[in-house]
Amino acid sequence: MDVTAEISQEDGFAGESGAAKIKERLEKRNQARIEDAERRKEEKESQSVAEEKDEFFSKTFSRERVCIEELLSSCSGADRAVVTQRLEEATVKTVQLQKFLNDSVLFLTQYELRQSQAALQKLQASLAETRETALPKKKFAFRARTKAADKVSAPVSDTAQADVATSAPASGEVDGAAASEQCGFSNMDNEFLTKTSEEIQKRDVLLTHLSNCKVRLVGSPSTLHLKHIDSCEILCGPVSSSVFVDHCRNSTLSFPCQQLRTHNTKDTQVYLHVTSRAIIEDCHGVSFAPFSWSYPTLEEDFSVSGLDKDRNNWTQVDDFNWLAAGTPSPNWTVIPEPDRKTNWDP
Amino acid sequence: MGLLTILKKMKQKEREMRLLMLGLDNAGKTTILKKFNGEDVSTISPTLGFNIKTLEHRGFKLNIWDVGGQKSLRSYWRNYFESTDGLVWVVDSADRLRLEDCRQELSSLLLEERLAGATLLVFANKQDLPGALSKEAIREALALDEIKSHHWCIIGCSAVTGENLLSGVDWLLDDIAARIFTAD
Ligand SMILES: Nc1nc2c(ncn2[C@@H]2O[C@H](COP(=O)(O)OP(=O)(O)O)[C@@H](O)[C@H]2O)c(=O)[nH]1
Ligand SMILES: [Mg+2]
Repeated sequence: MDVTAEISQEDGFAGESGAAKIKERLEKRNQARIEDAERRKEEKESQSVAEEKDEFFSKTFSRERVCIEELLSSCSGADRAVVTQRLEEATVKTVQLQKFLNDSVLFLTQYELRQSQAALQKLQASLAETRETALPKKKFAFRARTKAADKVSAPVSDTAQADVATSAPASGEVDGAAASEQCGFSNMDNEFLTKTSEEIQKRDVLLTHLSNCKVRLVGSPSTLHLKHIDSCEILCGPVSSSVFVDHCRNSTLSFPCQQLRTHNTKDTQVYLHVTSRAIIEDCHGVSFAPFSWSYPTLEEDFSVSGLDKDRNNWTQVDDFNWLAAGTPSPNWTVIPEPDRKTNWDP
Repeated sequence: MGLLTILKKMKQKEREMRLLMLGLDNAGKTTILKKFNGEDVSTISPTLGFNIKTLEHRGFKLNIWDVGGQKSLRSYWRNYFESTDGLVWVVDSADRLRLEDCRQELSSLLLEERLAGATLLVFANKQDLPGALSKEAIREALALDEIKSHHWCIIGCSAVTGENLLSGVDWLLDDIAARIFTAD
């Protein structure tokens, strides 16, 4: 009974085709599954010859890497057409190298993987840099705002040239929107900076390339991005989703949020209210204490943000570079009570 | 075991679909997955590793993989690519800052051979935010019109309000079903 029901239902998908056809298709799909399983088995077996592959990998990888580096260094001083061509070649090679690395993930050790990924990132960065200096052409979107924003997103693109043409109509729209709506501060030194609730409510706020600044963001933004921050004190009202911290050092931060995602940060104190959890990745010397800043409309902003004021998981920090269960990560600590900051007057 | 039983067993497997949710961190992948499953979305943490959910929808068994978007995990994404029927690419429509990064990740993903047959659904998420870009702007910024290798569709949605999540998934299922269950 059951079976009939199942089959007739299945027929709904099959349309007019007959039972034989269905069977044939089932066979086919099953065959595909079996082949998949075979392939997986092969992959497993290939691990047993990991050593040889390993050597092959490191040789090939470094050869390609040197080749790309040479291409890049040969760009300086060359004329535009040559540079364009070399950059293109370097871009293609970099993409291929990434693919080669991806394909080798199965048999590489964690260490090798990290090393190679780091080497690739370096390559990508110098590729972008070379492109930027040799062909200072506006690429795509978000440029109007600041120099700093450019740097932050300085992308390596395998189709950067094509992009100029194809996304030109879009960038107008996106550009305009970005200029009018990207809210925040950039490239400031030694300033006292504030934003009001009207300016940041439900917005994405970006603070980038700030040093020796004190920042007070009163209100409830949707997301807060802090990038390239040095020796600053940044306080913000309740952030309804995430706070991103990237390349921040020697600073004091304080905010309530739903999630905290911290990258490449060192020697920074975070006075935190987080309703889910915080993560750190590639960080050192990050220390945490409970959020303690206050301002007159804080309660209101908490309710705008939708954050639960009574749920603060500030001690629940996951270190993505420290997945060993049991032993605590050496990359973050709790600020001892006597050492905590209590006075937030600017 | 009779033929009918065998057929039924195979068919049960057939009705399974494997969907992979990818996108930059903070795009809202986990929130979409939980909202779709009717769970509380106010306490979601950044994803450590991945979540796998199996849910029933329209008689299909959906096997959904939500992979953490953190940098240190991105190179592992491809380990989950095998036999993927549908790819859900989630975009934070308010995150102008990383849109270019997002475009690059997507375009290199689509080069993956193991994803060659998969249908692509792009969710332009967080449409409830006043600063969100429209799905048309996202479509252009991600150069979706240049994608010829995959069936694709972009849908503006909000994981917080639940708006359009169903219509997106329904489109995806229809496209996959047409591919798998119709004679070629
Ligand atoms: N306003 C708004 N926030 C969202 C939406 N979807 C997700 N978020 C928030 O974005 C943050 C990141 O979500 P999460 O699901 O963890 O992202 P993931 O890294 O892609 O899994 C969380 O704070 C969510 O509450 C949405 O549609 N609208
Ligand atoms: Mg997640």
